[in-house]
Amino acid sequence: MNSFRFLSKNIPFNEGESIAAALEAAGIRQFGRDAVGHEIRYFCGIGACQCCLVRIDGVIREACVTPARAGAHIELVGADHE
Amino acid sequence: MNERDVIVIGGGPAGMAAAIEAALAGLSVDLVEQRPTLGGAIYRQQADGGTSPVQSKMARQRFARLSTALAGISANMRFSSVFLGLDADGFVLIENRQIGRIELIRSRAIIVATGAVERILPRPGSELPGVSTAGGLQVMLKETSRAPQGRVLLAGNGPLLLAVAAQLIRLGNPPAGIVEAGDPLRAAALSNVGLLSHPALLAEAAVYLKDIYRAGTPWFRGTRLTRIEKVDGALQATLCDRHDAVRTILVDRIGLHDGIQSNRIGLPAEQTRTGSAPVVVRAGDCREALGAVAAEADGRRAGLLAVSLLSGIATDISVAERAIARQRQAQALITRSFMPVAGGSHLASLPDETLLCRCEGRTVGDLRQLLDRPDPISDREIKHNGRFAMGLCQGRFCASNVAELVALLRPDASKPTPDGLTGQRWPIRPVSIGALTRAAPEDNCED
Repeated sequence: MNSFRFLSKNIPFNEGESIAAALEAAGIRQFGRDAVGHEIRYFCGIGACQCCLVRIDGVIREACVTPARAGAHIELVGADHE
Repeated sequence: MNERDVIVIGGGPAGMAAAIEAALAGLSVDLVEQRPTLGGAIYRQQADGGTSPVQSKMARQRFARLSTALAGISANMRFSSVFLGLDADGFVLIENRQIGRIELIRSRAIIVATGAVERILPRPGSELPGVSTAGGLQVMLKETSRAPQGRVLLAGNGPLLLAVAAQLIRLGNPPAGIVEAGDPLRAAALSNVGLLSHPALLAEAAVYLKDIYRAGTPWFRGTRLTRIEKVDGALQATLCDRHDAVRTILVDRIGLHDGIQSNRIGLPAEQTRTGSAPVVVRAGDCREALGAVAAEADGRRAGLLAVSLLSGIATDISVAERAIARQRQAQALITRSFMPVAGGSHLASLPDETLLCRCEGRTVGDLRQLLDRPDPISDREIKHNGRFAMGLCQGRFCASNVAELVALLRPDASKPTPDGLTGQRWPIRPVSIGALTRAAPEDNCED
């Protein structure tokens, strides 16, 4: 099965799935905190709310509309939690 | 310069139908879609290309017809490409995420079909992880055919909650409950005989309700979800019914939904004069949020309108217009059936700590404080001084709530509009300045 890295974890995904769907399947629901301190997480699913932003190979993207890619390295946009 | 005739923004039913009509009339057509596949949110396809068990047979058939028709024409598909706006020089700005650059495209006509976003009322705690929109849960169900794990609560207002509940049941995880501000059974029985002239709608509702009844899922009608808190690693939802009786329910996931609204913030204005500036036509839910059937008809209308404007050939849009009118009537009946039961205004009863605008962390209390001054504050000042409708989502989720709450808080002053708060300008999605400075007209790159 294909996988990408989220921080230090390997996340498996099905071909064609979004990054948000793969993280959801792995039980990851919080992607760090944003500039005002809120927890970053999946919300609208259609790229509109900008609440699920992650850094994918250095580029900030919405996890909900970005397809998962094998070997991608995903980091947090803001601070890690706790 | 290689100018195309029509560029369609959005690969949902409206965009697909518009592209088909324009191409059938012999126009050159590009279709821009932010995701790697067609369908939009309503026809979001299973990631592996298989048949999703959560799409209704009718929905599968409508999407199959559009897909087949689109495969039969020669439209240039631009996937993983995000529309940023139409600039003052008439260039369409597209962020092509496959190659990581912004393309400037010339087109004689632009058909904008960016769909809808959900209306989400503010509630304390709705910013917590595990809380999403009900539509957000739904697109993930469609994409993965997996239900989220744990106890799921659906809450808000409108028929989408029933659809998502039925889909969760089909995938083996019936929701812990459906919290509905209206009382549609009572309203439909009392006053909505008009629904009888929309048998397809009633049949769809009957299927959902049968599944929900069989699964034993509680449907709390005339009830509002007023607060969400983290308790012992779970989410505690506070429910308040029409008699102000309060109860709490412990769940793992909450899907909120309070209606559908056009996704039109920052879109270029319609422009139907032919001349030096491109023609701009809006299609589907971003013009008027009436659902998938109307969106497809409106896409045909927009495509035919573009054909007649560009080629001068008279086209007949009356069939499409009649289909749209029928859906408008159906939606009005549904809205009436789901009218929230009286019990005070949700917005007026929010405690000060409630987040109104998640992007900028602005609360109900912040808005009260901003308005608490003798001289009236303008819509633009509410944005620029108050930082409401200003953040990354550009007001898509807070502007209508802020406008309504401002009207409640200062009933004697003029009511702000969501558009007045947000302003209307591109880029309609956040984009890096670096990427914008490297943008170049597409054909120059190819030379």
